[in-house]
Amino acid sequence: MAVDKNWREKELSLKEVINKYPDVSPFIIIKTDAQRRGVDYTEAALSRVDVNVHQTVTRSFAVERSDQVDHSPFSLLLRDGTSILTGRDMVEGYRDPLVVDVVDDKIMILDDGEPLEEVFYWEKPDFYDKFTSSGKPMWHIAWARPLRIDLNPNQYCQFWETPGHGCKYCAIAATYKKSDKEQFVDLQDIDETVHEALKQPGRFTSIFLTGGTILDGEQLLDAEVEQYIQILKRVGRNFNGKRFPSQLIGTAFNKQQLQRIYDETGLMSYTADIEVLNEELFDWICPGKAAKIGYQEWKDRLYQAVDVFGRGYVNTGLVAGVEMATPKGFQTEEESLGRILEEAEELAKHGVSAVACVWNVAPGSMFFKQRTPSLEYYVKLSKGLDALRRKYHIHIDMDNYRRCGNHPDTDLSRV
Amino acid sequence: MAVEISRELQEILNDPQSIKVLATTDPEGRPHVVFKGSLHVNEDGYLEYLEFIESSQTNKNMVHSIWFHKTVAINVKHEKQSFQIEAVPYRALIAGKEFEKRYNQVRREKGIDLSTVWLMEPLEIVEETFEKRRLEEEKAHPILKHLDLLVEQEKINEK
Ligand code: SF4
Repeated sequence: MAVDKNWREKELSLKEVINKYPDVSPFIIIKTDAQRRGVDYTEAALSRVDVNVHQTVTRSFAVERSDQVDHSPFSLLLRDGTSILTGRDMVEGYRDPLVVDVVDDKIMILDDGEPLEEVFYWEKPDFYDKFTSSGKPMWHIAWARPLRIDLNPNQYCQFWETPGHGCKYCAIAATYKKSDKEQFVDLQDIDETVHEALKQPGRFTSIFLTGGTILDGEQLLDAEVEQYIQILKRVGRNFNGKRFPSQLIGTAFNKQQLQRIYDETGLMSYTADIEVLNEELFDWICPGKAAKIGYQEWKDRLYQAVDVFGRGYVNTGLVAGVEMATPKGFQTEEESLGRILEEAEELAKHGVSAVACVWNVAPGSMFFKQRTPSLEYYVKLSKGLDALRRKYHIHIDMDNYRRCGNHPDTDLSRV
Repeated sequence: MAVEISRELQEILNDPQSIKVLATTDPEGRPHVVFKGSLHVNEDGYLEYLEFIESSQTNKNMVHSIWFHKTVAINVKHEKQSFQIEAVPYRALIAGKEFEKRYNQVRREKGIDLSTVWLMEPLEIVEETFEKRRLEEEKAHPILKHLDLLVEQEKINEK
């Protein structure tokens, strides 16, 4: 989508939003806007990248970056430890991106030519330069956030096998079809890679699993459950069978499946992303999830997961902003915030925390021509979700700035 | 604007025998004071301390300080000398090789986990050594004292 040259005249600028919300961390507002608009790098900023030190390549189910193409940093850290998960190839919007440049010898993030904050490039973990015994680069097997090992064992999603069932904002199918990667990551490769990653003291604080949905099995989703159990068991051997800091974002499993995962593995927290907190919009935007599980059942399964994993160890992710996608989404930001936060409060009453990812219009998704809401919308939403966690006393250790780093609202929960 | 830490104060800050105190405030302005034995001046001239407890009040207050450019206060005492430093957090180091260096040191020396390496910039340094402050006070505010300190007690008692 082409950038609208006049977009700045249609909404408050980043600086204006910072000034309007003096109680909200400017770091988190900058992060939010960078994730909404993406970032671009000047030549000077790129000259500060050291491929021996910084993370430039990644293979995940949603993003594929190989070192032959681009040496731009995979993502950024701010001075306060906040991660900005964005890059030059992750967002396609009608607003121009923020810019990373070198100013007074410091790497800074800028908006409209004005330096905002110093940034640091993510460092790659030691295992990125290693190979599995089968000869594969370990970064093909797992990827890394600053403190997290990420495993995406299924790089495709079965919802895409039924025409019209893929989630409309999702780029998994496009990413998968563009590359020559295998759909399933080999268990032995995962085992070796995680083992190697754990040799780096002080690097990782959690292990994270997610991937595309697998509908197969005697009961719906049994095959997906089985896949995660096998991986968690193998990975768990490193910890002598104890529970270990970990998160699984899976499809919404039933109580029996959840109990099995809890009983048979060392998993500590569980997430099933409902994506959009409104039943009609869920049906429209996530038609596969709606057809196979349904909105109310998805919520019930989250509540059941609290019984299994405990309060503070179950949450659900939102692709925040898709609720305003045209033509069926909410018409005004005010209405949208009211409706979303009302639903989020119902979840919170049941001990389930809603966490937001800033919707960036992913190239290759069905929604690639959509426009994301204003920055102010995201600031209000983050404040609202953080306030609900405080009101209902739900901590967010499982998905905070260190473990995930992708949710501005959980960043606000740091103080 | 950061000020330079004198060589003398650097030595005091880096002496494990010195007592170091860090005072922070939460978003409502409630003060919180803790001893921070790990506080020292690092090779780059930043004040650095190691935060071992992720959800501690100090860690939360430090985040609030770095977000909104609120200052913190440090006091270091060595024998009879004492200095107060007003500082502002510059960086919360939570990952990367620099962090790992500190982490490995903590593991070797204390055998515990490390959450964050906090780096701070000193903004103002005031010597608070009692004798020095007392003499300064006498010179600057000669009117602020008890009268009986100015008379010879023996003469008063004679009458
Ligand atoms: S469930 Fe939806 S969002 Fe998740 S991978 Fe499948 S299509 Fe994408």
